[in-house]
Amino acid sequence: MKGFSRRRILKTIGAAVAAPIGAPFLNLAHAQGSTIPIGVALPMTGNAGAYGPDMGEAAKRTVEMINKAGGILGGRKLELIVEDSESSASVAANLSQKFINVHRCQSLVGYWGTPEGMSSRPIAIQNKVVLMVSSAANAITEGDTEGYVWRFQMKATDWGIVISRATEQRLGFKSVGVMGLQNAFVLPIMRVFEERMRALGRTVVDSLVYNPEQPSYRAEVQRVFGKKPEAVYCFGLLPDFVSIMREVYRGGFDSKVVALSIAADSEGKFVNAVGADVAEGIRHFQPMPDVSAPGYKRFLKLMGAPADRVYLFPPNTHDQIAIAALAMEKAKSPMAVDWSKQIIPVGNGPGEAVDDLVGALEMVRGGRNVNFQGAGSTCDFTPNGDQIGRGMGQWIIKGGKSVFVEYAKP
Amino acid sequence: MSTVVCFSAILALALNFQWGLGGMVNFGLAGFYALGAYSCALLMLKGGFNTFFAALGAMGIVALVCGLVALVTLRVTEEDYFAIVTLGVGEMLRLVALNEDWLTKGALGLTGIPRPLGELIPPPVYLYFMLALSVVLVAACVWVLGRLSRSPFGRVVRAVREDDVVAATLGKNVLWARVRIFAIGGALIGLAGSLHAFYFQYIDPTQFSTIVIAYAFMAVIAGGRGAHVGAVAGAAAVMLLLEGSRFAKELVPGLESDQLAAVRIIIIGIGLIMLLIYRPHGFMREYRLQVPLKHSPGQARPQPPKEAPT
Repeated sequence: MKGFSRRRILKTIGAAVAAPIGAPFLNLAHAQGSTIPIGVALPMTGNAGAYGPDMGEAAKRTVEMINKAGGILGGRKLELIVEDSESSASVAANLSQKFINVHRCQSLVGYWGTPEGMSSRPIAIQNKVVLMVSSAANAITEGDTEGYVWRFQMKATDWGIVISRATEQRLGFKSVGVMGLQNAFVLPIMRVFEERMRALGRTVVDSLVYNPEQPSYRAEVQRVFGKKPEAVYCFGLLPDFVSIMREVYRGGFDSKVVALSIAADSEGKFVNAVGADVAEGIRHFQPMPDVSAPGYKRFLKLMGAPADRVYLFPPNTHDQIAIAALAMEKAKSPMAVDWSKQIIPVGNGPGEAVDDLVGALEMVRGGRNVNFQGAGSTCDFTPNGDQIGRGMGQWIIKGGKSVFVEYAKP
Repeated sequence: MSTVVCFSAILALALNFQWGLGGMVNFGLAGFYALGAYSCALLMLKGGFNTFFAALGAMGIVALVCGLVALVTLRVTEEDYFAIVTLGVGEMLRLVALNEDWLTKGALGLTGIPRPLGELIPPPVYLYFMLALSVVLVAACVWVLGRLSRSPFGRVVRAVREDDVVAATLGKNVLWARVRIFAIGGALIGLAGSLHAFYFQYIDPTQFSTIVIAYAFMAVIAGGRGAHVGAVAGAAAVMLLLEGSRFAKELVPGLESDQLAAVRIIIIGIGLIMLLIYRPHGFMREYRLQVPLKHSPGQARPQPPKEAPT
């Protein structure tokens, strides 16, 4: 071990520490160049890994479209920095730091899950950078966000409203059991759903919060399904829902099952995991774009997808970049301090309703007001950054395929 | 990012002291780490302590819990079972953090955690302040542990690891030594947890998953069991591989980010395998007392090394 003297080790450690510190300064020149960097954190791996690749593709195509049409702010091109958030809070926080300090991004987009959004929120606010999330937990936009945090998704309590209304009007279950994953966005859905059910005079036979990553959910399943409610509402994610449904099938329970599409569909991964027999008859809900809106049809063309394809999250990523570009153009500045104030004017109007992003950019450049209609929603916001006007879809699994039932707004 | 290297370095140092030097496997590391972060955050948010005392408090709490775990377990069982108990306790701590909403806000996590001198230093500079603070703390930990392992107590620690029966025969209180080893490691875990809370300002149970344990063990194995500077180097190497491989995208054109996500994991695996093939003892060897060849007048009789070279 003589080769490893103390000096040599100190030098090595010194270099290891110095290199990342130096990196931001090396990139300074790049930041002041003509491109405008946008940081995109997407779940490529982890429990939401099914959604990242399409969201990334949407971001790429949206930016290509803007750049092909001449960029923004007098010909400056947008540049994407796409990274894998691993569906994890700490990875997302590290990514946000990297986007801000290394790439000098002023807009952070993507951020699928609640942990990712929650951990990046303080970083964005402190650095005065806009964070656009696709996560649902109400807490993300609660409190003072100083106008830097924007949700491109229906907030969790609204999910509960839509699901309880659909239960009352269409499904008609008189007694329900509720199982929910211990998770920041599931708990508000559960709370609102149960309150509404009781207010409608329905019986909630049991309400159970379960922990993630358990090897088995036999005890939980037996407790809730054992009380034989007409239906069990299971609000969770793919891995736990797969083990729950296997247990339900094995136990031979005959309550109907209602779930979220991120668990019961997950781009077909659920049916692949449990088989069509187990999945038969499960109903699932998820916020989705209005597929009849011209903005969504335009998005399908951009993605080169067939007309009946339903994308849940990629349209949000498209809208995030679109709104950022429009707000920058309107504020005539790439700095978030300036353009964060223009998000509501370009999203909510007043102005002409436009669903064509390139056209909208031109109108803003010409000094006209626009009310941008996105692909995932109408892109209308409350002053604290919550999105309004996004609806929720309902599906039922038949023969291993999810069949669309209806679309509803809260 | 380098700041993250520093937390994992402190965590690796703690594990290295408990496991590398003291021979006490700690599979509950993630739980104790969570305990440190949550104690620090809650002392500030609910107890109204300032950052310095909250960090000290977190160190104290984790040390106390670790000490208790060691005391209670080792009084009744063999050391092999100790690993399983730590695993259980760690998981228990994580579940408490996840489910006790009134205290920890459950899955939502704790937000708005204050940072040391957070009001005085503007955010762009703060990152560098945090890094400097962490580097100083890592250096301090290395120094303290270096002193400890060279002290008579350090020899007892290694003696207990090599053969507790021999140590007991020589009149050393093995149980008490082990409790102290585990508590000292616990204090360091508490420090790492506090830094984690300061850095992220948001903690939730998902940040303390079992992968934290795997990274810490990787760091200690890569660095060389028992060597403090080695543990720091190991942690730096593991984190650089993990986080630095994100920068590989700029170096390798034509790689899509979802492909890169898969490639990164492969690179890390290959890196560790190569390391274990070419440097099976890790980057560094454990400190061993060198016997001077000549007797200097000040030293009456040099002490022989306590354990046989491995």
